[in-house]
Amino acid sequence: MENIIYSLYHPTMIIGFSVGILSLLAIGFQKDDLHALILADVVECAMLVIIAGVGTDLAEALILPGLVVSLAELLAVSEVLITRKHIQSKNHDSKKFKLFEEFKLPLHTGELKYDIEMEVLKTSPKFFAIILIVYGAILSGFTGGAVIATGLLFYALSQRVLGLNISDDVKTLWEGMAGLSGVAWAFWIFGFLGFFLFPKYWLVCLLMSGLGLVIKVGSKLGLVGYIGEVK
Amino acid sequence: MISSIIGQLFGIVPFGDIVFGFSEFSIIGFVVALIFTIVVYLTKPEKQLEAQKFRVEDKLEVVSLEELKIRRMMAIVCGIATAGAMLTYDLFDYALFLTLVGIANIGIVSAVKKDWVLNASYQYGLIAMIATLPLFGSAGMILAKTGTLSLFELPKIPTSLLFEKIIFAAGMAGETGIAPFYASKAEMFRAPGSPYILMIHLSSLLLIVRTVEILLTI
Repeated sequence: MENIIYSLYHPTMIIGFSVGILSLLAIGFQKDDLHALILADVVECAMLVIIAGVGTDLAEALILPGLVVSLAELLAVSEVLITRKHIQSKNHDSKKFKLFEEFKLPLHTGELKYDIEMEVLKTSPKFFAIILIVYGAILSGFTGGAVIATGLLFYALSQRVLGLNISDDVKTLWEGMAGLSGVAWAFWIFGFLGFFLFPKYWLVCLLMSGLGLVIKVGSKLGLVGYIGEVK
Repeated sequence: MISSIIGQLFGIVPFGDIVFGFSEFSIIGFVVALIFTIVVYLTKPEKQLEAQKFRVEDKLEVVSLEELKIRRMMAIVCGIATAGAMLTYDLFDYALFLTLVGIANIGIVSAVKKDWVLNASYQYGLIAMIATLPLFGSAGMILAKTGTLSLFELPKIPTSLLFEKIIFAAGMAGETGIAPFYASKAEMFRAPGSPYILMIHLSSLLLIVRTVEILLTI
């Protein structure tokens, strides 16, 4: 009993199984389909807790396929729910919203009577987006790409909330970056291979793969904000 | 004990940790699953003639090409997963194959544009999601207790695995949708398109037999 991991095994098992059983109770009380689905996902998280209770390297390797399988099941069942919803509501045509469009300010829906054009609403999204993009470029790699994508997403979604369109210049630039992402992907792969083939030039390979990945991830994730703008 | 059930062992494919083994037992299951996968690939779906309530004429149900393509692909994935589950000699790998078969089963019926079929497949999906807890949980507990997941090594370890075996069987029952959970799955068989629906049935039968073999040997 010298290792603390040994003493953690039994509490982990108890917590995992009790979370599972409590979620089953909650599913039993649930009337809404979507809530039952989300609670079933909680049961799968309890499954991950039980596997993690083993506490070795192998357990870490087993969590990843478990997580992938549970996500795949969640996606499949939610796809079934969406199709069913679509069939049920085929007769009445409901209005479709773009992402974040429902949070539009009252200023642009015409409900507010006074004209409150504030400068900060237009400038602050650009400011934050530029800060995030510059910081992401300094970070580079996968994390930097995610930070850049957050900046781009923030800009696109705040423009949508304000009820404005993204200007054509920005859109063209964005599309150009997304077009680069194939090349960037190749850079990443070659940089990664370079680690094994030419270990002497590791710094060049590191920079190559880091920059490739930052462009790839940033442009691809940022495209989420671009969805719905395409004519 | 192990040799009496699985018969002669012809050879293994050592992919690192994950070992595929060819015994008499697993070859039979593998070949049956492969034959049915080829049958599913080659045949056209059935056409159902439905009697109408309060009307004279009958209605012909035809599976459209778009729906057919998705369902055939999912049925082939289901067949390949079943064939893989027959061969594997790693407990966690087997649990993954079981879950993959469950996902493919949901996929086979989710392309059907019928309200009641989708409802049944949603219920089955919930059960399959919940059943991953006992399935993977028992695999994790067996790993914690014995230190291995290999089905060749487990019979040599003299530890009682009764509780783990019980919850593994419970997880298998939920994942394949047999007796206590059959009500959710029975409606799925009423969907038109015969060979694809057959794949759901065949995969769960083969997986039950294989699970019994595993639970008897370890």
